[in-house]
Amino acid sequence: MSLLQILFNSLALGSVYALVALGFVLVVNATGAVNFAHGDLVMAGGYAAVFFGSWLGLPLILLLPLVAVAMFILGVAVCFLAYFPLLKRPPSSVFISTLLCGIMLENGYIVMFGPEIKAGPPLLTTGSLDLPPISLSIQSLATIGVAGLLIALQYLVFFRTQLGRRLRAVSQDREMAQAIGIPAFTLIAVTFGVGTALAGIAGAVLSNQFFVSPTGGVSLSIYGYIAVVIGGWGSILGAVVGALIIALFQVGASTVVPYTVATGGLYVALLVILFLRPQGVFGERVQRRV
Amino acid sequence: MSDRTIARTRPGMLRHPIHLGLGLVALTVAPAAAWAADAYLPIVLPVTGFMSVEGGSQRNGALMAIEHAPASLKAEAPVFDTGTSATGAATALDKALSEKPALAASVSVFGTEMVAMAPMAQDYQVPLLTISGLAQLTETGNPYIFRFLPNDREIKVAHARYVVEKLNKTKPALIGDTTAYGQGGFKLLQEDFAKLNINLAMAESVEPDTRDMSSIVAKIKESGADVLVIHTVAQPMALLIKQARTAGLDIPIVTSSSLVEPQATALFDPAELKSTCSETPSAPEARATPEISAWADAYEARFKQPPDGLALGQYDGVMMALSLIAGGATTPDLLAKALNTTTYKGVAMTYKSNGKGDMAHNAEIVCWDGTSRIPKIAADYSGDELTLK
Repeated sequence: MSLLQILFNSLALGSVYALVALGFVLVVNATGAVNFAHGDLVMAGGYAAVFFGSWLGLPLILLLPLVAVAMFILGVAVCFLAYFPLLKRPPSSVFISTLLCGIMLENGYIVMFGPEIKAGPPLLTTGSLDLPPISLSIQSLATIGVAGLLIALQYLVFFRTQLGRRLRAVSQDREMAQAIGIPAFTLIAVTFGVGTALAGIAGAVLSNQFFVSPTGGVSLSIYGYIAVVIGGWGSILGAVVGALIIALFQVGASTVVPYTVATGGLYVALLVILFLRPQGVFGERVQRRV
Repeated sequence: MSDRTIARTRPGMLRHPIHLGLGLVALTVAPAAAWAADAYLPIVLPVTGFMSVEGGSQRNGALMAIEHAPASLKAEAPVFDTGTSATGAATALDKALSEKPALAASVSVFGTEMVAMAPMAQDYQVPLLTISGLAQLTETGNPYIFRFLPNDREIKVAHARYVVEKLNKTKPALIGDTTAYGQGGFKLLQEDFAKLNINLAMAESVEPDTRDMSSIVAKIKESGADVLVIHTVAQPMALLIKQARTAGLDIPIVTSSSLVEPQATALFDPAELKSTCSETPSAPEARATPEISAWADAYEARFKQPPDGLALGQYDGVMMALSLIAGGATTPDLLAKALNTTTYKGVAMTYKSNGKGDMAHNAEIVCWDGTSRIPKIAADYSGDELTLK
């Protein structure tokens, strides 16, 4: 496999992981809480694509707005069920409640869709463009395009709009933000919704090439978490870079060494980064006030 | 004292004073009739988790057998979910067997769960009817394990022989996965190809949650392999075949039995399955005999889904047990003895224990021609054909 092909395949897989990691980062930024149901919410997007695809018979690119709206509503529901009731409890309570949400979602998928693996519709169409020495899958090209657009949009919203400034204010100090009139709880619910919509779009995009299954989100939660740790806790750019690094190990490194060795290498790299730069590649060093 | 502790000290059905009383009544009045009226055979397998497709088929087969039980029997078979985990399996089996005295239990297809459940069969002294292929299950001297699908040690011989002797391929690329099932079959295939004097072009294992297979496909291409041999669970297998075909890898592919599951073939366009074959203990979807055809029709009518070999294997296993119970094997020990000594003609094949609890000794290779998701039987192996010296 040529170097160009490795880079293209890594970029395609990394784009999906980046969408997963970004939704994860959004919630972390807004609440300081880790959403362990995130991978299962990715699968919810995949199942939404399967459902809408078989119902409407349209390519996924036309279904994405529908998936995003459905997932936004689901994300807000998760916020009300698993986060708000535990707001004044220790962070570990939210970890457990989101974990339980994930388990309930997994079993819900089995009840609604059955335990088997499902494939969703392609973004545009199947097939590939042959540009020797590489072959560009149309699905992968569309995935990179959709992910790039959403990442840019999220960056603009977060850093170039009043909404983004308010969201960042809530994440830094919720009580102070409320004191100056920012509707913190509404913004937290919106953040859960937007983060889940991103997760859902990632799942929908994954569903054609990589299938969906009730427990398929577990590993995605782990990859999202690793991407955020590598990139820097709370950093949007860091999450994208972390996701691309994971994909480079899974696609690139596994081309030259056995797959299991490449996976081991990823975790060794994670340990090295944590040792040398605990705040992650793009994270800022912070000190807690006593 | 827990029921399980009692079970250890008082084997069989007489593990509780109440059971002892019931047993004495049964012995003095009409023992066979008493058991026949109330045969408890719990079903303990993965209904949730990543083996739930296979577990679902297995459950359907067991339930269908219970519904087709001999008229003299009133069988009770509640379903206990193991959740695709070893601890879940042990807990579920303990619960199932401690609720009331069981004559036998239908247990998991998943080898990892079976490793946890097998010692409990000895604790409770209750026969376990399984379709797990994990070779070691029947190689540890446990007299309560009865397997109604071929041992992987046998079926992998069919897998390797078909590649070498029927397809005449000499440079296989072997891909396994990192589960206990995947590694067990991977090692057996390596041994079998070596016995057939075949050097592998490459051999590698992937994790079951691997999504992008492009690096594996590239390695297969670069190895110069003339056939791709896969032994994995369903998801990585489906992803590898799809991505290999998309990448233009047009060598024949011969897989382990997960591909025969209708839910797996549903992921493919028929054309994508061209030149793909799979080993399977039986292929009811091919409807090769009138008996299998009738069973497959009944299964589809009952469960509204296509039949598969896992369901048929478990069906035959439970039906054999029910027939023996109806014939007088009215305690777990009598049933275990009868399972060990009886030859039973089931729907898929004839079952006979090899003395270790391996009841099934047939394997088929089915192939897809690219026009349909229903495979055709390409080769059949049985008896000595499933052993390599």
